[in-house]
Amino acid sequence: MKGKVGIGLRRDIANEIIDSEPIRPDFIEFAPENWMGIGGYWNRIREKAVSKYPVTCHGLSLSLGSPEELDWDFVSELKAFLDENQVQIYSEHLSYTKSKNAHLYDLLPIPFRKDAVDHVSERIMRVQEALGRRIAIENVSYYTPVAAEMSETDFICSIVEKSDCRLLLDVNNVYVNAFNHGYDARSFIDNMPLDRVEYIHMAGHEKVEKDLIIDTHGRPIIDPVYDLFEYTIDRMEPVPVLLERDYNFEDLESISAELDHLRDLIRKKWGVVHEAAQGNA
Amino acid sequence: MKLHKETRDIQHRLGDYCKTGREVSLPGVTEGRIKHYRRLVYNVVKNSMDQAYPIASSALGTVLWDELVNDFFSNHAPRSTQIWKLPHEFYEYHYSKNTATKLKRAWLNDLLWFEWAEIEVHTMPDRDVLPYNEEGDSLVDPLILNPEHEVLQLEFPVHKQSLVDIESHRGEYYVLLYREPETGRVRFIDLSVLHAFILMKVNEEGIPLNEFKGEIASIASIESEKYLDDYLRDFMGNLMEKKMVLGFAVS
Ligand SMILES: [Fe+2]
Repeated sequence: MKGKVGIGLRRDIANEIIDSEPIRPDFIEFAPENWMGIGGYWNRIREKAVSKYPVTCHGLSLSLGSPEELDWDFVSELKAFLDENQVQIYSEHLSYTKSKNAHLYDLLPIPFRKDAVDHVSERIMRVQEALGRRIAIENVSYYTPVAAEMSETDFICSIVEKSDCRLLLDVNNVYVNAFNHGYDARSFIDNMPLDRVEYIHMAGHEKVEKDLIIDTHGRPIIDPVYDLFEYTIDRMEPVPVLLERDYNFEDLESISAELDHLRDLIRKKWGVVHEAAQGNA
Repeated sequence: MKLHKETRDIQHRLGDYCKTGREVSLPGVTEGRIKHYRRLVYNVVKNSMDQAYPIASSALGTVLWDELVNDFFSNHAPRSTQIWKLPHEFYEYHYSKNTATKLKRAWLNDLLWFEWAEIEVHTMPDRDVLPYNEEGDSLVDPLILNPEHEVLQLEFPVHKQSLVDIESHRGEYYVLLYREPETGRVRFIDLSVLHAFILMKVNEEGIPLNEFKGEIASIASIESEKYLDDYLRDFMGNLMEKKMVLGFAVS
């Protein structure tokens, strides 16, 4: 998986991925919540995809940052699902999606505070123990800090260190946050524990106001994000890289070209050769 | 608990704001940015309801539908870790709140139930099927039904006619929804009271039709045995063609 390029298995493009035409990833990622406990047509699609590609999973509902107790029934269902699908990397967001035990289905920013570091780290450790594996936590896009008492980098680094988890570094999110909050993306990368990165996300975004970008995963990756990607991978060992695309699937050729472009950059920096890119997937 | 009360309260206040849209003041936020969280969260929930309930949402119209979604999300704590299950909570919520009566749209509960059932049958986990033969006698041999199905009893025929004037058709209706084994598509069939009775009996008791033919005859007031046999063979033959009946139990 190291240096390989994957894509999110979305329902709109599932058949094009399974047939490798025109989308030829080296691996696939999906949200367990979208595929757990279902039968019928989509279950067969999942089975086909899983039998063809190595799999990573990116969770949505664990809500590592919530004040309330973790949902242990969900964690045990998750464990069974990860085992069944031979999931190689499981990641979740460094955010909260549940408040007062109500699911909100989107990523809310955790206050960057010392007590939150301790709270979240302990939860990550307990999840890792229950799942019997290390998890990777993702730096999320956020549109405002809330009641912060430390920097975002300190917040992330402390949690990774304390919980001994891995990092899913979303390079697009770094770009989005640097733009939205006026910091330097490269020095943010410099401050990340790059030796703890297990996985990279790349994606497109949308500028909705002159000083605000929303992380939509609906557009092609822009050049400055590719530049930041090159800057990042120059400073670390090879890991898998995923293209996140959640909608706007009209132009599949251009999505396929994005995968190839990521492969080119990886070949240049990491010297990894991709069989899928040569048409053998 | 390592999290301080103050941090927890801040997190809850942001959560409450996303649920209700009611203004909140939070420390250390960038002006004009918090509103995007409410917008993004609400859009996810609204889209999920729009997709699950295309008929109900268009029947109620944009404004009223939005009120129903907003009421649900403001006052209910979603339990589903999987968002595709959230529309079921929406149906349960409005059922328990008597929304249909309050809005004077008596058919609303049936319509939401029917639209949800389509999703449920489409996504329900694959169920085990007993071994069966494709050849047999539908009166003598126990029938093996397609297990991925549901029979709904409705007060209004929301599955077979437009909503205009539907209130004057209040009655007892049955609809069968099932998943085609090969394609995974959901089909539905309007059932008479008699058909519904037969299917439920076969499903629950697994006995051959011959064993409760007397009951069928009396419900349907059919006197001729030959007519009844033909009628039942026809009905089951039809369901077999449609893959709702898979075959005959292996004895
Ligand atoms: Fe990401």
